[in-house]
Amino acid sequence: MKGKILIRRMLRSPQFVIGFVIVITIVLVSVFADQLAPMDENLNHITARFTPPQGISAYFNGGYVLGSDELGRDILSRVLVGSKISLTIAFVGTICVATIGTLLGVFAGYFGGVVDDIVMRATEVTMAIPSMTLGIVIMAIFGPSISNLILVMIITSWKNFAKISRNQVMIMRNREFVQASRALGGSGWHVIMTQIMPNVTTPLLIQLSGTFGGIILTEAGLSYLYLGVQLPNPSWGNMIAGGRTYLAAYPWMVIVPGIALMITVLGFNFLGDGLRDVLDPKQTR
Amino acid sequence: MNQEKDILLKISDFVVEFRTETGTKQAINHLDLAIHKGESLGLVGESGAGKTTTALGILRLLPKHSAKIKSGIIEFHGQDMAKMSEKRLMEIRGDKISMIFQNPLTSLNPVFTVGEQIAMVLRKHKKLNSRQAMEEAGKLMETVGIAKERIRDYPHQFSGGMRQRIGIAAALACSPELLIADEPTTALDVTIQAQILELMKSLQSQYNTSLLMITHNLGIISELCKNVAVMYAGTIIEYGTVKEVFSNPMHPYTKGLLGAIPSLDDHKDRLVAIPGEVANPYHLPEGCSFHPRCGCKCEECMKVPPEMVEINDSHFVACWACREGK
Amino acid sequence: MMLENDTLVEVKNLKKYFNVGKGKVLHAVDDVSFSLKKGHTLGLVGESGCGKSTVGSVTMRLQDPTSGELLFEGKDIFKCKDKKENLQYRRDMQIVFQDPYSSLNPKKTIRSILAEGYQIHHTVTKGELNDVLSLLSEKTGISKDMWEQYPHELDGGKRQVVGIARALSLNPKFIVCDEPVSSLDVSVQAKVLNLLMDLQEEMNLSYLFISHDLSVVKHISDRIAVMYLGQIVEMADKDTLFSETMHPYSIALLSAIPKVDVENKVSRIVLKGDVPSPINPKPICRFANRCWMSQQICFEKEPELLEVAPGHCVKCHFAKESRKLMAGAEKTGLNSGEQI
Repeated sequence: MKGKILIRRMLRSPQFVIGFVIVITIVLVSVFADQLAPMDENLNHITARFTPPQGISAYFNGGYVLGSDELGRDILSRVLVGSKISLTIAFVGTICVATIGTLLGVFAGYFGGVVDDIVMRATEVTMAIPSMTLGIVIMAIFGPSISNLILVMIITSWKNFAKISRNQVMIMRNREFVQASRALGGSGWHVIMTQIMPNVTTPLLIQLSGTFGGIILTEAGLSYLYLGVQLPNPSWGNMIAGGRTYLAAYPWMVIVPGIALMITVLGFNFLGDGLRDVLDPKQTR
Repeated sequence: MNQEKDILLKISDFVVEFRTETGTKQAINHLDLAIHKGESLGLVGESGAGKTTTALGILRLLPKHSAKIKSGIIEFHGQDMAKMSEKRLMEIRGDKISMIFQNPLTSLNPVFTVGEQIAMVLRKHKKLNSRQAMEEAGKLMETVGIAKERIRDYPHQFSGGMRQRIGIAAALACSPELLIADEPTTALDVTIQAQILELMKSLQSQYNTSLLMITHNLGIISELCKNVAVMYAGTIIEYGTVKEVFSNPMHPYTKGLLGAIPSLDDHKDRLVAIPGEVANPYHLPEGCSFHPRCGCKCEECMKVPPEMVEINDSHFVACWACREGK
Repeated sequence: MMLENDTLVEVKNLKKYFNVGKGKVLHAVDDVSFSLKKGHTLGLVGESGCGKSTVGSVTMRLQDPTSGELLFEGKDIFKCKDKKENLQYRRDMQIVFQDPYSSLNPKKTIRSILAEGYQIHHTVTKGELNDVLSLLSEKTGISKDMWEQYPHELDGGKRQVVGIARALSLNPKFIVCDEPVSSLDVSVQAKVLNLLMDLQEEMNLSYLFISHDLSVVKHISDRIAVMYLGQIVEMADKDTLFSETMHPYSIALLSAIPKVDVENKVSRIVLKGDVPSPINPKPICRFANRCWMSQQICFEKEPELLEVAPGHCVKCHFAKESRKLMAGAEKTGLNSGEQI
């Protein structure tokens, strides 16, 4: 009964369907990137540099489907492998961000008082720091690496989860079923885990999807400045950066990773909005 | 249901359905109701009986995307409101028919002063200029017992009871012919409720407005209304003067309702609860909607919906068992 | 006469203040004392904001009191710091909430809602749980089909029954019923009230029954306390309170209730104005500004809660005179119009 309604709502939300299809496709593609890539993404081929896109037929006869770059590397292969790196970073980053942010938010909301003050002031501080600047500073000090990249994501994005979960918990905290659980003798931990958390998941899930898209963008931005994923490893960000100089003559070097980036972020944002329609229909109507 | 010519509003064979994700909900089920000029009619029933839907249905204020008026005639001054254009309806709403809502906090707009909100009605329908309208609004506020000086205050500066008074002032602004009050005191405390009831009583006689009082509280009906219509599962099951119906209830549901109220005056050891549950509007039972909970049902009750029959000229009931004189 | 040791719960001088900033203190509950015998019901009646629910939640220790004592079987449990003993008190005292929609966790099945108490206290093993739950369901009239349902699939009355069953799961001695029937329809309300009364008889429960509805309170209570602005203004046995009402507020409250009775229409006293703010109240009679018989002294001195007859306490300077005045008012046909 409940599942049926959910499925019906899913099919009725075009955003959810589009977002879901895009996200699933991208995830599958990045998982099988190595198998799908027609060439080694780092294979140079100086004589074939700046080959324009040759179309889908080139996939089977060793050509450049989406063209090649200044070193004659296959752009399709680099975009595919780049997606794998980007998505892995985004995936790990999102999980870290969500866990840390949610935990802090839940504690702040449930215990209130000093705990709440500290956490909330901390969110305000992080909101005052531009995420790009912070990224540049951290990368400059600790050196560019994937773990530092994730650290940047955590510092800049945890506040979203903290705020949502805190507000939800504040609403839930005074609900009568939470009081009832306390009246039965439930400890703070028991109340949080069994009564409050199950009711906080919906908005967090929606946020999760949005954060995923945001982290991919941040990663691309930092990689564009060569502060994220390091060459020769491909990432959409550093591919766009590399193509920048040749934009006028060989625009596909920027357009291809750019479109990949756009579709991915759009897909996750659609999924997030779609999830809201599906899980929380009252809010939209 | 006496003299036809006195009828102000006549609803016949009104059917409203709600389409929801879980199915089609039969909110109003072949409802017939008439309100006479100057009459105070109480519409009583439990939650889900379709009281509010009836009120909103009369004014055609039901949510467009989910509610559907399947059939019915709402005759007001000989015109069918069910088929009226939106423009014509807007002229009637607030002028000829106005409404008081349950929650005085949400029914007033927080960004306008109360004076502006009362004046708005006057400007629209009586075509007064803003100075005249504000003056008139001040007078109305005094009528409902609020000092004129507070005309520039915002709704949040008033208490619940005061807000409801303002709601009443706005509803009475154009001296409507029919006032629909949807649980106007449910959100208020008893002593404040008493204030509002007294106010409504005196205003009704002063303005000679017809009143459709929607409530679940039988006490309020008995205080304020001359006639009462008891509603169950989207239809009227008993109608008559309050005196008749409350002292000599015929329908088993009305009897149950009266027996279920703890009384201040006499001493009951146990309350008589009505067995079973309120009929599920998604799957209304066949025949009489009340039959699964009824103690005196017969074969017919399970098959054919009962028709209104006359007990005497001021008492009507829709029950097969009552017709057979059981 | 009841013996002293019949008393199960005794609340003494309970105060609950909230700091609302800028030196403002909200006196939600101000010096409330009452006692409750085993197997009895004390009705606590008053309008919204009078502090009756706060009394309930402080008694349940869901909030800490500002000051005061709560003696449960003679022991002051506000002072109890022992974890094990505290858990025991949790089992002895339970609460039923007003809103059956927000009092049940929407994401839990009925079965897991009912089982929560047993899981917290580990009083039954996993194997026994089903039997215990069956027994509990039988007692409260919950069918087993409901076990796997979620709260939103049930109607208000059934949810409230689940709330009651949850409160009963740990075999308490004392239950705070915080407006348990206020959000229910009359026909359902009757069912829930009957259930509460049956359970009381069966398990010798004591209820603190909080409600704004005098007729419901009258139906279920043995003794009734009327609250106004954080204080008890009148307390008496049920019949005494209704036949010999003394405090002007109680009189007004009684007369404010719309009565179904179509034959005997009595004149009513309509109080003017609204309940004043409970922030930093002056030490005068708190009802004075709305009272129709207030005099100079009411605005100067706070009356004490005095026992005017055995078991009948009134907090009014003119306790004895109010009835005479009321009788006089009825005779002269003093009606509402003059009172507004």
